[in-house]
This record gives sequence, C-alpha cells and structure tokens, in this order.
Amino acid sequence: MGKNYKSDIVPGIVLMVFSICYLALIPTVSEFVGLGSTPLTNHFVPELWGGVLLFLGIWIFVRGLRKRKRFLAEGGIPEKGAGFWSSEKEVVESFVALTIYVALMTPVGFVISTILYITAQILILTKVELWKKTWLPALITGVVFGVALDYIFKVFLNVLLPTGILGW
Amino acid sequence: MILQGLVAVFQPLTILLIAVGTFVGIIFGAIPGLTATMAIVMFLPVTYSMTASQGISTLMALYIGGISGGLISAILLNIPGTPSSVATCFDGKPMADKGEAGKALSTGVVFSFIGTAIGIALLIILAPVLCDVALKFQAYEYCALAIFSLSMVIALTGHDTPKGLVSAVLGALLATVGLAPIDSRPRFTFGLYQLNNGFALVVLLIGLFAISEVMAYAENVRQDQNFTVKEDFKMKGLGFTAKEFVSNIPNAIRSALIGVGIGILPGIGGGVSCMISYTVSKNLSKQRELYGTGIMDGVVASETANNATIGGAMIPLLSLGIPGDAATAMLLGGLQVHNVSPGPLIYQNNGQVVYAIFFAMMVAAVFMLLFMMLGMKIFVSVLKIPKNFLLPVVVVLCGIGAIGNANMAFDTYVMVGFGLMAYLMKKAKIPSVPMILGFILGPMFEENLRRCSQLTSSDPFYNHPIFMVLIAVTVVVSVFSVRANQKEAKIAAGQEKKALENAENQ
Repeated sequence: MGKNYKSDIVPGIVLMVFSICYLALIPTVSEFVGLGSTPLTNHFVPELWGGVLLFLGIWIFVRGLRKRKRFLAEGGIPEKGAGFWSSEKEVVESFVALTIYVALMTPVGFVISTILYITAQILILTKVELWKKTWLPALITGVVFGVALDYIFKVFLNVLLPTGILGW
Repeated sequence: MILQGLVAVFQPLTILLIAVGTFVGIIFGAIPGLTATMAIVMFLPVTYSMTASQGISTLMALYIGGISGGLISAILLNIPGTPSSVATCFDGKPMADKGEAGKALSTGVVFSFIGTAIGIALLIILAPVLCDVALKFQAYEYCALAIFSLSMVIALTGHDTPKGLVSAVLGALLATVGLAPIDSRPRFTFGLYQLNNGFALVVLLIGLFAISEVMAYAENVRQDQNFTVKEDFKMKGLGFTAKEFVSNIPNAIRSALIGVGIGILPGIGGGVSCMISYTVSKNLSKQRELYGTGIMDGVVASETANNATIGGAMIPLLSLGIPGDAATAMLLGGLQVHNVSPGPLIYQNNGQVVYAIFFAMMVAAVFMLLFMMLGMKIFVSVLKIPKNFLLPVVVVLCGIGAIGNANMAFDTYVMVGFGLMAYLMKKAKIPSVPMILGFILGPMFEENLRRCSQLTSSDPFYNHPIFMVLIAVTVVVSVFSVRANQKEAKIAAGQEKKALENAENQ
C-alpha cells in the first residue's frame, strides 16, 4: 500500500512552487480602476486559481507523505533512483530533437529541418540494433515527406512555412 | 439555410473531402495509440485554405471515422484503437477467437452506423432547443454554467479527484495568459507580443495529445511491440441474421441514448459511454452470464454508444461553445479557425455551416459504413504500418498546424512546451482532459463573474432562476461525484492491498 507515494510528493512540490511563483507575479499585472471598472479586478480570478492550485499542491504533497509513512510502517523499502537517463533516454532524445527542429525551422527552413528531424526521430524510435537496416528508409521518408509537405502546404493550401537561408 | 447547407456539402469537392476524411479517420481509429483527436489535429492545417463548410465537413468526417475505426483493433488485436472502443474488446475479441471475427466486425460497423445516425438525429432535434434556452442566458447563467461544467471534472476524474482538479485548474490558469477579459490589460505575457492573445486552443491540444503520444511510444522503444493481426476472417453480407438484428434493437436504442446523454455532459467522451452502456446492457440482459464470452450484444452496446456520443458531444459544442470531449475541443479550435463562433446565436450567424455540419455527418456515416463493410481488409493491413515511421510525420503535421494557426513560428515552441508539460503530467498521473475544460471554461467563468460583480447591486442573483437551478445541480453533482469517487478509491485501495498480500504469500 502507498508504494506510489513519489507520484504524489514530487508533483505536490512542483505545484506548490509553481503556484507560489504564479501568485507572486499577480501584483505585476496593472489593475484597471477607471470608469466602467468591475468590483472584481483582473487580479481576482488569477488569485483564485493560484490559491486553489496551492491548496491542491499542499493536499497532494501531504497525501504523498502520509502514503510514504504508511509504506515504511508496513516494512516497505523505498526505491532508489532507477537512473533517469537509462529509463527515459529515448524520451529525452525525442524532446531534444523536437526542440532543435523547432529552433532550426526559421533560420534553416522547413524542408531541411524536417528532413533532419524525421530521420532523427525515426531512428530514436527504433531499437539501436535495427539502425543499420533503418537509416536509409528513414532518410528517404524524411526527404519525401519534407519536400512533399512543403510543396503541398505552400502551393495548394497557402500555409506560410519558414523558407530559411536557402530560400526553399 | 438548410438548402444552403445541403448545397455546400453536396459539391463534388466537399464529398471527396468527406470521403478522404472518413477513410483517414478510420485508419487513425484502427491504429492503437492514434486517436480521432490526433486525426483532427493533423488535418486541421489542411483545412486552413478551405471554406468553413468544407473544412468543418472534413474534420467531422475524421471524427466519425476515427471513433468508428477503433473497433477493428479492439476485435482483431484485443487492443482498443481508441479509448471509445475499450468495451468492444470484451466480446469482440472472444468472438474473433471463436472464428466469428467477420460477424463481430460487421456487427460493430452496422451498429456504429446506427449509433451515429441516432446521435445525429438527436443533435438536429436538441441543438436548436438548447440554443433557444441559452438565448435567455446572461452573465449569471453563463457563470453558473461554467461552474457546473467545471464540476463535471470531479465526476470524470475517478478515484483521484485532487489530481483531476489540478488539471482543470492548470488549464484555467493557462487561460489567464494574455489580455484580461473586460479591461484588456496584459497578464503574464512577460513583454512578448505573441502572448497578447493568450495560448491558442489548437496548440494546447497538439501538445497534450500528439506530442505526448510520441513520447509515450519513445518510452517503450526497447520493449518488443510485435503483435499478430488476425487476418483469416471473411465478411460475408451483414454477418448476422435478421432475427439477431431485431433482437438487438432495444439494446441499440438504449445504448444510443446513453451515448448521447454522456456525450452532452462536458468532458466525458466515448470511453465512458461505451463502458456504461456495456454494463447496463449486461445487467438488463437475460443472458448476462454470456457477456465477456463472445456475444454479439456486447459489441452492439459498446459500438452503438460510442458512435452516438459523437452527436451528443456536438450538442453543447454548437449551442453553448462547450466541448463534450477532447475531439470536439479540437473541433472547437477548427470552428474558431474558420471564424464560426459556437453559441446560442450560431443558427442566426452561421446557419449554413451548422446545417452543412449535419449533412456532412450523415454523408460521413454512410461512407464509414461503405468503407468498413467493403474495405475492411485494407484497414486491417494498415495495422502493420510501423509507428516509428508514422509518428514523426504526425509531429511534423502538428507543427504545421501550430504555425498555420496564427502564422507564428513562436507557436511551435509553445507546442513543445505543452508537450513536455503533458508528458510530465502523465508521469505524475494527472489526467489531461480536465485541463481542456479548464482552459475553455476559465475565461467564460472569469468574464461572467466580473460582469456579475457589476450587476449584483441592480440585478441580484435571486432574480435568475436558471442560475439558482444550475448552482443547485452543481452542488448535487459534486456531492454525489465525491462520494462515488471515495467509494471507488476504497475499492482500488482494497484491490491493491489484496494484490500485495497475494504477492507476499507467493
């Protein structure tokens, strides 16, 4: 019982910190006090949501602590950090690839950044043992979709996509 | 306007778009992990340059196809293609194991069509009625409606109410970014002009549903995900007898009504409706012990209900601007992109689009029936497409959707940010659907609450009976939901304890 206390304690702390930062920012918002202003200002609802979130954060955190206490009292042994990098490696790589893709899109252009991203993301989502067999189909998929999507969206659907340094 | 809607849909290009939308939707529904919401997310940028009727018709076709396609993998793989098909697995897979895969698929397809048709009929009848009622709404009523809809979060979060509330409040909190309602003062924009209009609903949904799905797949890359698809089935005629069909009509009507009812409630989608209708069907059946062993009635209950939910979920979306589930939240984004404002005045301001939606839904339902009855083998073969190749392309299309929404590359950064947030929420076991409700209802609540604060002296709340009724219903729903959730939590804790004890004994 209560083995999952970490999924309460950690989010509880994050929510508390986040809501305190949010509440601290509210006074920086300028209030409108002129003619036609409402008795409840533009601070009221953010204060309400921030306050509720802080309360929920404390609730979840305390619940997690109680679960942990119960878990230890029942003879449970707390799990040690299982090595974040080893278990979530592909997730971190995917986020890094996506961030680089988004950052490169404007300076480099949609076509080149999409080719690079699709190829990299396919490889990230493939077991390392199969990379030798996969890299070429991944590259072809990247080129085909990068060029085709750019052409379809720019020419037929009038969506403005970044052209980048090469002017593509 | 009815005629204009009819003409708008029965154009060759629109019919073609509906056919393509239905086909793609079925594929997305069939592949586990890809949902109707993702299909709509992916195709939204494609609709940017279309007329409102064409664009919304395409999105509706994707929605209907997406919900219907889920039955394929539920029956053949025992993995629901979409959450709406969870209960289809219970009897669909055992039927397939008994050599009745063709019959299970035919039953699912035909009753999906019937469910969709009943849902559309009730949508056409109820949406204008609700619009008429909503025309009487003023600030008090809208404020109470927002509170009532937010209270549904408690009902839909199951045994972990605090985390459901966290999600809803986070959504409402994100909606405070941008210009404040009424006085238009910038809040939490950090001097970035791109944030003046706040976060776009479409971008939030892309992050919540598309990016997090890729990350969920990335988590399991090193695990074997091979599965065998049962392809040795035949679909001959309807697959079931007229007697079986007639005997299931009451079951279908009951399930459709449950589906529509659940669909109308904000935030609760097909996943819940199929489970409830399956349970009700089982409890009312004379052959209750056969449920779960491969009985046609189970597939009928689940598939009729989840498709009827489509019509139900469209009712509050069109008449009040409140989405019934995640897919209709995406449709709300689509309507906004095409300058269609859902709400009580939608019939006056965008009547043609509303009727076009109705006709498009009917056409899409017919296409769904035809495609799935005649081309089932094609959809089954699609199950073999490797997701490691498919998902990156989906992400790129989502990126285009984010850019095209307001022609701002900045939104792609926001998309990644929301994707990261959605992934962390998943890890923390915080549900994401309540966040959409909070994000949509937060501004409605704030604007009307502040208007109410201006009115209290001249027009007190007790002059508004609808307000009083809605608040009373909110209190009742909240109390019952909290009690039901506590009961569920106790059962879950008991099961966990029992499982631990069993593990220790072994």
